[in-house]
Amino acid sequence: MATPALKMKHPGCAQSIVCDGNEAAAWAVALARPDLVAVYPITPQSSLVEYVSQFIADGKIQAELMNVEGEHSVLSALHGAALAGGRTYTATCGPGLAFMFEPYWRTPGMRLPIVASLVTRDGITPQCVWGGQQDAMTMKETGWIQIYCETVQEVLDTTIMAYRIAEHHDVMLPVNICHDGNYLSYGVTQVDVPEQSAVDDYLGEKDVNWHVALDPMRPMAVDPLTGGAGGPGPSKFVAYRKGLCEGMQNALGVIEQAHADWADIFGRDYAPLVEEYRLDDADYALVTIGSMTGAAKDAIDSARLRGERVGLIKIKTFRPFPVEAMTRALKKVEAVGVVDRSVHYGWDCGPLYQEVLSCLYRAGKPVASGSFIGGLAGADLTEGHFARAIERTAQLLAGTEFDGPVWLNEND
Amino acid sequence: MTAYNTIAFDPSRCELCNDCNACMTACSQIKAGTDDLLHSRIKIVAGFNGNPPELALCRQCGDPECTKSCPSTALTKNPETGLIDWDESLCIDCLLCTVGCTYGGITYNAELKHVAKCDHCDGDPACVKACPSGALTYITSASIFNEQHEREDLFVPGLSACQGCNSEMIMRHSLRKVGPDTVLATPPGCIPGMGSVGFNGTTGTKVPVFHPLLTNTASMLAGVKKQYNRMGRNVTAMALAGDGGAGDVGFQSLSGAAERNDQILFICVDNEGYMNTGMQASGSTSYGSWTTTTPVGTEMKGKRTSQKNLAMIMMNHNCEYVATASTAFVEDYYEKLDKALAASERGFAYLHIYSPCPTGWRFPSSQTIEVCRKGVETNFAPLWEYERGGELRFTHSIDNPLPVEAYLNLSGKYRHVSKEQLAHIQEQVNERVKSLKRFAGLN
Repeated sequence: MATPALKMKHPGCAQSIVCDGNEAAAWAVALARPDLVAVYPITPQSSLVEYVSQFIADGKIQAELMNVEGEHSVLSALHGAALAGGRTYTATCGPGLAFMFEPYWRTPGMRLPIVASLVTRDGITPQCVWGGQQDAMTMKETGWIQIYCETVQEVLDTTIMAYRIAEHHDVMLPVNICHDGNYLSYGVTQVDVPEQSAVDDYLGEKDVNWHVALDPMRPMAVDPLTGGAGGPGPSKFVAYRKGLCEGMQNALGVIEQAHADWADIFGRDYAPLVEEYRLDDADYALVTIGSMTGAAKDAIDSARLRGERVGLIKIKTFRPFPVEAMTRALKKVEAVGVVDRSVHYGWDCGPLYQEVLSCLYRAGKPVASGSFIGGLAGADLTEGHFARAIERTAQLLAGTEFDGPVWLNEND
Repeated sequence: MTAYNTIAFDPSRCELCNDCNACMTACSQIKAGTDDLLHSRIKIVAGFNGNPPELALCRQCGDPECTKSCPSTALTKNPETGLIDWDESLCIDCLLCTVGCTYGGITYNAELKHVAKCDHCDGDPACVKACPSGALTYITSASIFNEQHEREDLFVPGLSACQGCNSEMIMRHSLRKVGPDTVLATPPGCIPGMGSVGFNGTTGTKVPVFHPLLTNTASMLAGVKKQYNRMGRNVTAMALAGDGGAGDVGFQSLSGAAERNDQILFICVDNEGYMNTGMQASGSTSYGSWTTTTPVGTEMKGKRTSQKNLAMIMMNHNCEYVATASTAFVEDYYEKLDKALAASERGFAYLHIYSPCPTGWRFPSSQTIEVCRKGVETNFAPLWEYERGGELRFTHSIDNPLPVEAYLNLSGKYRHVSKEQLAHIQEQVNERVKSLKRFAGLN
């Protein structure tokens, strides 16, 4: 694929190109040198797997390409390849992710360091093909690491980092790099493409099946029945579960280190877990996730010009949940408004809000809070929407609480 | 250690032809160039008082009496062929051998003034070929033992299968042939249920083995194989899956892998349902069968729909190789396994093995092979193979099948079947054979 080289920017940067988030992810895949890529198209992920397929057709990615008959088999094929020692990649979203669910929630248990992009899409029904984080949020209890990107450049960079994180021996867990359907999948901007040799050095030698393998040279049984209600007791089962939880917690430090090393080599510094924006002198704050953060930061800037002491907390790593980093940020303010791009059924709020509440409990001080839900089904979250959220959060600060979530696009 | 071939005799089939003498004529012709039955070394002795006919023929005994009674070493057991050889130059015509043999296997030929006995026509017995009813069959399955017995059984002893389990037999035969450079997938069902993948850190298999999901056996194996190809290593990707994991909930991944022609040896062990979890019906359960989810009561008499014919569906994927097999015809199975293994290096190979289940089908565990055999002999479970681009080929005659009751009567799961249901099953069997014949280019 001919992409015009613009200019050299940073050390470790091969070229600058103009592309959308789906193409940026494909460039990341190329640089990560996977062995097997299995694909099945689904909106708004489709152009991503088209780019990857074309890159393979052009020899830009020297991977096996499997055109599989559905997402269920896509991830299953990656399981097989990972157990045989391969580095693997796929991408999906929405109904495709739902169809993938059976192998999906098995992946962390087998400790397979698979990387999959979630080009996040809202759930059906009502029928929709647009962005939203309902798909990813539905999967938050499955044991996958979930990292949400804000920009197209961050999609590229974080997708490469994902292999470093997933394959770290203290982690060995699958990683979802979530980028918002529509906004990041199709949003076009200039990005820097890192140099292959620098990425090779950053990722190091892959070693993905040292712990579990299907290999006649070291035969083992993968996933025999493990005691619980029957057999000699549940201790082994508990050990596996506990190990998975430990791997998840280990990931927090590994994610931080992966970002720090990335900044050293490539010059781009992202807050790995929680980003604090104009927070230190703030009385209250918005909490955001994903691509909405750009518009939210603009709204914060505008409010600051009006003299509002408001800041922003963006979460990048949602699983494992960065409890300490989030709690530390929340402690700095007296009120927060949490903006979700999905809903948390049964709690009448957004899922991120629900988890922020847990951190507020740990903060050890009263912080007024409210849930905002917006951007469903690809709806735009503009500076105006965030201005409203800021206004309502300011009211929280003043002691006016509200019941239930504020639906930001309710009247759009 | 060597095992030997033999000629088997089925009196119930022999009766059908009413003293045709075809075997004896063929023997006389090939041994003496005449139709005079005096020269036949095989004799069919008519049954008296309504008893079935009997066979007088050398059994090529493993512990023969004739060689012991021979005073001149004219009769010897050949350790290579297993035949009892007769050496005319040493024979003193004492006829002691004819007294020693209880089978009438060696008799005096008055014209030649010598004894004469069967020598299997150098491995191609004329009598068997001439028999019009299939009463005589040349059993060469002993060759399997000769060829395979030194191969390691790659499953451990003591798998916890039910007594008389056909699946265990299939597993052991299959994997010992395919060998150790294999990654084996056994999706949930009887096969891992008996401990092949294992329990709490132990395993029942000596090759890398895993539990795929019930739904993704073929796609997981496809990933395994792709990675080894990439690494330049020759590893066989093999599945031993039940009919549910293959043809019901796992069908999409199976079909996808066949379409992609992924290099997989996929063996479906079809026991017509979810026997491991308590005998529930699957798409492969045959019409009329009792299962725990197609029970027999006042309103329902077993399964109300026909079974899915998975082997034919796979043939229509134009796989590299597709075949059906039965443990009652294990030599046929080994030939197909060889072909399938070779085909799996080129692409997708599918073997469908009928696997009657004593526990779930309600027949005595001693009858497993008999149920398998009758399934084939009634055309309920016809044996055939298909190679990519070719035509279907029957590997066991579909002519003159036994009526389907001969098969159904053996299993308790058909005990309730009414006359109407029986007629329907027979009609289905006939239709299926007709359909297969079209694929075989036969009318």
